[in-house]
Amino acid sequence: MVDQLSPLTPVLRSGRYARDDHSVGVTLAEVQPGSIVQLSAWPGQQAGILAAIREVMGLFVPGGAGSGVATETKSAFGFAPGKFLVSDQEEGFSVAFADAVGPDAGTVTDLSHGRTVIRIAGPKAEWVLAKFFAVDFSEPALAVGSGISTVHHDIFAQIQRTGADQFDVYVFRSFARSFWNSLRHASEEVGYEVE
Amino acid sequence: MSPRRATSGGLIDRSRSIRFTFDGQEFTGHPGDTLASALLANGVTLLGRSFKYHRPRGVLAAGVDEPNALVTILRGEAREPNIQATMLEIYDGLKVVSQNRFPSLGMDVGAVNQLGGKVLGAGFYYKTFMGPVIGPLKGTRFWMFCEHFIRRAAGLGKAGTMADPSRYERMNAFCDVLVVGSGPAGLMAAKAAAESGQRVILAEQDARLGGSANWCDETIDGQPAGDWAAATVRELARMSNVRVLPRTSVWGYYDGNTIAALERVTDHKASPRRGEPRQRHWTIRVGKVVLATGAFERPLVFPGNDRPGVMLASAAERYAAEYGVLPGEKIAVLTNNDGAYRSALALREAGCHIVAIIDVRADISQPARATAVRTGAEILTGRAVTATEGGKKLHCIKVQAFDAATGQISGDPRSIDVDCLLMSGGWSPVINLASQAGAKAEWNERLQAFLPPKDADGWIGAGGFNGTFSLDAALSEGFAAGGGTDAGLLPATSSVDLDIAPAGVFEITGKGKAFVDFQHDVTSEDVRLAHREGFQSVEHLKRYTTLGMATDQGKTSNVPGLAIMANALGKQIPEVGTTRFRPPFAPVTIGALAAERYGEIRPERLTPMHDWHVENGATLYSAGLWHRPMIFGLPGETVEQAYVREARTTREAAGIADVSTLGKIAVQGPDAADFLDRVYTNMFSTLPVGKARYGLMLREDGLVLDDGTTWRLAEHDFLMTTTTANAGKVMQHLEYLLDVIWPDLKVTLTSVTDQWAGASIAGPRSRDILAACVTGTKVDNETLPFMGIVYGEIDGAPVMICRLSFSGELAYEVYSGAGHGTHVWEALIAAGKPFGLVPYGLEALGTMRIEKGHVTGAEIDGRVTARDLHLDWMLSKKKPFVGSMMMIREGLVAPDRLQLVGILSRDNIPLNGGAHIVEELDQDNPHGSIGHMTAACYSPVLGQYIGLALVKAGKSRHGQRAFISDPLRKRFGPIEIVSNHFYDPEGKRMHG
Repeated sequence: MVDQLSPLTPVLRSGRYARDDHSVGVTLAEVQPGSIVQLSAWPGQQAGILAAIREVMGLFVPGGAGSGVATETKSAFGFAPGKFLVSDQEEGFSVAFADAVGPDAGTVTDLSHGRTVIRIAGPKAEWVLAKFFAVDFSEPALAVGSGISTVHHDIFAQIQRTGADQFDVYVFRSFARSFWNSLRHASEEVGYEVE
Repeated sequence: MSPRRATSGGLIDRSRSIRFTFDGQEFTGHPGDTLASALLANGVTLLGRSFKYHRPRGVLAAGVDEPNALVTILRGEAREPNIQATMLEIYDGLKVVSQNRFPSLGMDVGAVNQLGGKVLGAGFYYKTFMGPVIGPLKGTRFWMFCEHFIRRAAGLGKAGTMADPSRYERMNAFCDVLVVGSGPAGLMAAKAAAESGQRVILAEQDARLGGSANWCDETIDGQPAGDWAAATVRELARMSNVRVLPRTSVWGYYDGNTIAALERVTDHKASPRRGEPRQRHWTIRVGKVVLATGAFERPLVFPGNDRPGVMLASAAERYAAEYGVLPGEKIAVLTNNDGAYRSALALREAGCHIVAIIDVRADISQPARATAVRTGAEILTGRAVTATEGGKKLHCIKVQAFDAATGQISGDPRSIDVDCLLMSGGWSPVINLASQAGAKAEWNERLQAFLPPKDADGWIGAGGFNGTFSLDAALSEGFAAGGGTDAGLLPATSSVDLDIAPAGVFEITGKGKAFVDFQHDVTSEDVRLAHREGFQSVEHLKRYTTLGMATDQGKTSNVPGLAIMANALGKQIPEVGTTRFRPPFAPVTIGALAAERYGEIRPERLTPMHDWHVENGATLYSAGLWHRPMIFGLPGETVEQAYVREARTTREAAGIADVSTLGKIAVQGPDAADFLDRVYTNMFSTLPVGKARYGLMLREDGLVLDDGTTWRLAEHDFLMTTTTANAGKVMQHLEYLLDVIWPDLKVTLTSVTDQWAGASIAGPRSRDILAACVTGTKVDNETLPFMGIVYGEIDGAPVMICRLSFSGELAYEVYSGAGHGTHVWEALIAAGKPFGLVPYGLEALGTMRIEKGHVTGAEIDGRVTARDLHLDWMLSKKKPFVGSMMMIREGLVAPDRLQLVGILSRDNIPLNGGAHIVEELDQDNPHGSIGHMTAACYSPVLGQYIGLALVKAGKSRHGQRAFISDPLRKRFGPIEIVSNHFYDPEGKRMHG
């Protein structure tokens, strides 16, 4: 199988870009899930989608829009009413979901090539993200596992909190490099490290 | 020691010195100094020239209300004008210059304007230069001639023309309670709110938090108020639920308790850390706003009240207490209230000589008299200052008897030698933000001031903002505003028992200019002149005189101006009313609003093969947000030579183009086919799985929205493609229809534009090339007929291939996962090499589609119907569709509508999109347009310049001659109108 080429390849340079006092506030990295799949439920059929997520991925998503769950290798969250974004390090999950989600429950859309996932982690992650998005990133407002849909200028973004100070930002692949560069620029104030 | 720096006192760091320059002269100050305090400490009293009359001006205030002392900061080649010296913290290497003067601040030729007298009064330019036509001097032209000189002679600082190299950022924040202002009331509110567990942001516009606690002589909780404030700030800063923002001006109050603020992050630093912005713009969504913004002391309006050395009493007190600066050696005080007595005493205790306290009131309170006695000053009640003397600095005042009830002056003037006159005309609560939030100000007779209303939605006030001037009450209000309920937790205070309620005296009339609005040089006589000329509404007064319209937004002039207007009208102040304050409360740097968008105003959108294009010599240009190859030029080729070669090679052999930018929407669900039947003019429910169809989409008004092919991938799964330009618009249109018009349809829409990389491979050898590299499927005519879809692999990567053509040649679109896009593209390039395959850009793509007569966004311009584009064959009569109700609307079927035609250049000169087409050529008076060019190129297959156009009744004009009329580009010449199908109209090549 041919490996996916990341849109960040020419600009993602690992290293430590610290502040003058050698500290770094955030770590930036690209997460490259093998599968990114969007699941959409027809009105009243959300339970069927949640059951499919449980069946295919073994993840329990507690509710609808906003709620979610994340492990080291897989995640799922509701980004809009009846709509969920799931990702896994393994490839081919769209096929598995196509079997699990019948036409009466909803639809399955493979976005494994269409979205780029950028992870921002560290004590200043909330601070840096707040430069881009009008979203309350504090943990009471956006608990671990939760996700939201938002936008930065023309860049649509879906963001999931995957740890106490860790967020995965899903952006359209074509915008990924531009967003990455903006993110690095915004992170200079707090110092950053690229993994 | 600086001439005006006290030997002790103040909150500055005397252990360190800072060097800075003002107008090229080097000065020193200390950390904690503002430019104003440092210059005053150095004995500099002349800081600027006034707006219109170029009168010498000093410092009037000590904070954000300063109207006079505006300077320009020089940062390398960048310059930032109109910065208040009172808000500018000094740092090593700071360079500032004065402004609105020539050749120098001390010797300003513009000062000749002072001789203009009444000629330069309010609205002088309207009256003087808008006159009737007299000989060659037409009024308006004369004004335009004079305007240049007037604008040079009047104004504030000049903005630089070099790019601002500073870095700005934006920040979003959310909190339960935002406290604006960190005086005692604000600190108490923040403390109470924070201790109850709420998320608190405390914003203070000054560098040092504490507000009046920093310069008052009162105590809180048994310690000096300043110490209490510093300890409280430290306590707040340690709390995890509190964010303290010093140097942050809250400048806008918007709907939904959305607050705009500007933080001056590194304006005070000589060398910001790497990545630190100069300023940060905050957008704060707030549960409750506590407005603890205090009050501004008002000047009194009297002749010569603008002379350097005349300043607000509280400002002088602050310079002494906070900066250890004595604003004069011999100081007089002019007041209409008790508050100035406290200022006088503070200055006396700091080491100043208080010569006299002049009170317009005949009787003063016992505490005021007792305080005055302690200052050692002569007490002159029932008196007023009626003139000041001095050039660039004050040296004498004239005092006469004054009747506060009638405003009458009597007796001979008495001269008193002073170098500083402090004035206090009462206090105006800073209600600007509440006003922005919609609060209607209420006049308070006792305080002679506008106060905020008691009931408010979203905010609560505390302290001076409410007109509450006692420390005890301010703390209590702050505590309550922060949600505190147990009054036993309030700290004890001790304060001076002085009532700041003033006498209703705003102006002392006399000979000479008495300034109301210092920054715009509006005098009391200007206000009366406006009244005499019929401007009775306060809104009209403001606009005619420009009172309150300068950068300080009338902070010191608003109430005095209203009072003088009311007096002229014979009305009470509340009858006259007040104007509503608008954002911004304080000036906001444009750069801070742009923030990270500076230089990156639009994100770049890149196709999966972008890097290959760059590495292989493509010249790119932007198409919306996308960056697309224009040409893949060879060394020495012009653009035209390159696209002609690319198009010719494609028609003769094969070419490959990146079409990843086409909009792609997954339309899925059991009702997807039905939905497509409704949104397209033609039928899609009959489309078999594995086939594609060209579709046309109309708006509700019957005009063409977009076109493209839609592929049926499975029974309930369609892939819709749109034009690159209209992808977003089509998605919005479809989502609207699903959400609002047909919510019962089981259809989902997902943008999958970025999921797929698309390569269009066209030309007579394209099938051979695919056959050479595609595995897993055949690509012959039987397996892959026109509009057929097959699945296979190219060099190990899964691909989906649809046979369709935009160029008119045998052509295919090869879709792969975007992450495989470059891999597949390179495999196609390699496979095509033996067949003469070339990559081509948008110019060649455009050339071939013009030759073929296909339409794009240039023709689908929001004004054309399907018939106009000769696409009426796509309008189904078997079903309704969006826009079908408009198909027989008279205006949309009129015979003289613009219709798509082809254009041949008959003088062999290139054509241009946008050029008009006329029947008769008249270069001197272009007229009679019958249409316009939409696209043009050199056609390699026709060997001439051609184009497409929209022309009135175009189809009936085929074969007719006309002319290009393009006066902007000076292109005139003969053309022939022909069919838009220049090349292979039967479509034999693409069906071959």
